[in-house]
Amino acid sequence: MTIATMQGVVKRYGSHVALDYINLNIHEGEIIGLLGPNGAGKTTLIQTLTGITPFERGKIEIFGDSKNPFSNQNKEKMGLVTQEITVLEELTAKENLQFFAGVYGLKGEEKKKRVEEALGFVGLGDKGGKMTTNFSGGMKRRLNIACALTHRPKFLIMDEPTVGIDPQSRNYILEAVKKLRENGTTILYTTHYMEEVQAIATKVVIMDQGQIIKEGTVEELIKTVQHEEKVRIDVTDIERIPVEALEKISGVKKISVSGNQLTIISAFGSGNLDRILTLVKEHAGVLEIQADKPNLEDVFLTLTGKQLRDKEEE
Amino acid sequence: MTIFTFALKRSFSNKTNLLFLTLFPIACIFFPKGEEWPFLPYGYQYFGIIILFIGIRLATIILEDRAKGLVKRLAVAPISHFQYLSQNLLAYSIILIVQCVLVVYGGVLFGQELYQPGWLLLLYISFSFSSLAMALAWISIYRNKDVSFLMYMAIIFIVVMLGGIIIPVEIFPDLLKRLAVIFPTYWLGQGINWVAFGEEILDFLLINGVLWLYTVVFMIIGSIRKIQ
Repeated sequence: MTIATMQGVVKRYGSHVALDYINLNIHEGEIIGLLGPNGAGKTTLIQTLTGITPFERGKIEIFGDSKNPFSNQNKEKMGLVTQEITVLEELTAKENLQFFAGVYGLKGEEKKKRVEEALGFVGLGDKGGKMTTNFSGGMKRRLNIACALTHRPKFLIMDEPTVGIDPQSRNYILEAVKKLRENGTTILYTTHYMEEVQAIATKVVIMDQGQIIKEGTVEELIKTVQHEEKVRIDVTDIERIPVEALEKISGVKKISVSGNQLTIISAFGSGNLDRILTLVKEHAGVLEIQADKPNLEDVFLTLTGKQLRDKEEE
Repeated sequence: MTIFTFALKRSFSNKTNLLFLTLFPIACIFFPKGEEWPFLPYGYQYFGIIILFIGIRLATIILEDRAKGLVKRLAVAPISHFQYLSQNLLAYSIILIVQCVLVVYGGVLFGQELYQPGWLLLLYISFSFSSLAMALAWISIYRNKDVSFLMYMAIIFIVVMLGGIIIPVEIFPDLLKRLAVIFPTYWLGQGINWVAFGEEILDFLLINGVLWLYTVVFMIIGSIRKIQ
């Protein structure tokens, strides 16, 4: 079942094209990792998909409804975790959740139950009565997520939910996202952190300059840039290694020697590691083998020519 | 009515707001009467200034919601911006009305000479709405609550000085007298004079009418800005 569809969606801010004919299908049960550098159009895409920002051209369909995709009926099934922490600091954690639960029309015992459930889900079960001003950044982030969960949304949009938090809270949030998916929630997740997408996304969408430039599973995307395999072997007696013989092995493209390390680059899928190792072992002892595989960062770099995060951001 | 309930709760959860919402209005009841001017006890003249401050304190909650992204988040919820705004404003209006009742009724109980307390209450309520609307329009220009509040303090000072709340308009030069008419505080001052001297009822209706006109105009300006 399709949860949301964008067809040829265009959004401009003056002469700047923020969304340039975006086509996107989000299916039930997916965790879509939306990646892109600053200014790629991720937030505009989210704001357009949620009806916050109007679009100029194209079609958006939410839960199969393209006539009135942002009807209250559809909104009741959607949740948004904003990049900003929208927790009300003058209230307790529980009151915050009561506020959002009330906005989504929950009442009485049901509201009480859902508030407790959401607090427990983000690991703040024992902090419900505490004022949120005293919360750490990570706790506020978790509460920020809980605020979007009391009404049990079918489609949850998370805009950089882990910005500026400690690794422990980040792991907690990533685990919570996976658990949400297991419970049947479809998630659109934007982030700057490649490793997060690699850990949770069932599908990755890469954006740049208002366009979707690639989409697929992590494996599919990696395959698109995987032309070579790189193996590094640390050996005991490097001078005894027959480099010329190694170069003759099928698929081997290049061999370089540095200190005690041999770096062998082969064509992708040549399956020659066994033969290389046999030959090396005949002449020297093998200390360590490292195989470098391309990751999403390489995919991103290849596609956009940019690092996802600026170095100083890291 | 979740927004309404929480608007009430949030209004009283801040210590500075508590001072403005409870202590300052109550203090107004106990100020003595001046010898010649103002015509009502000082506290009832200066209550107008407190109303202006309360208006901006309350409206700042909406500014905070906007700056923090809460309004954006609510835009994705099954609630319209109109509902959000109207429930907030309803809560603030109730707070302001209760304060006006408290101040006027308190004065009557304390034995202050208020001449026509019923009309005075109506005048305060009209002025409360126009100052709330003015604050709403003001915060629609800003993204930062501290800057907005500081700038508004300067505005309050000008409006209060030139509007005849601290100094009687009658002693102003002609140009300033003419200028004073554009400030809501001028109409509050005129209303207080009317309450003290009880002239034509039409004059009083005109004064309240002008204050309501301000309310409508500022409310429209303040409601245009929605999410960002």
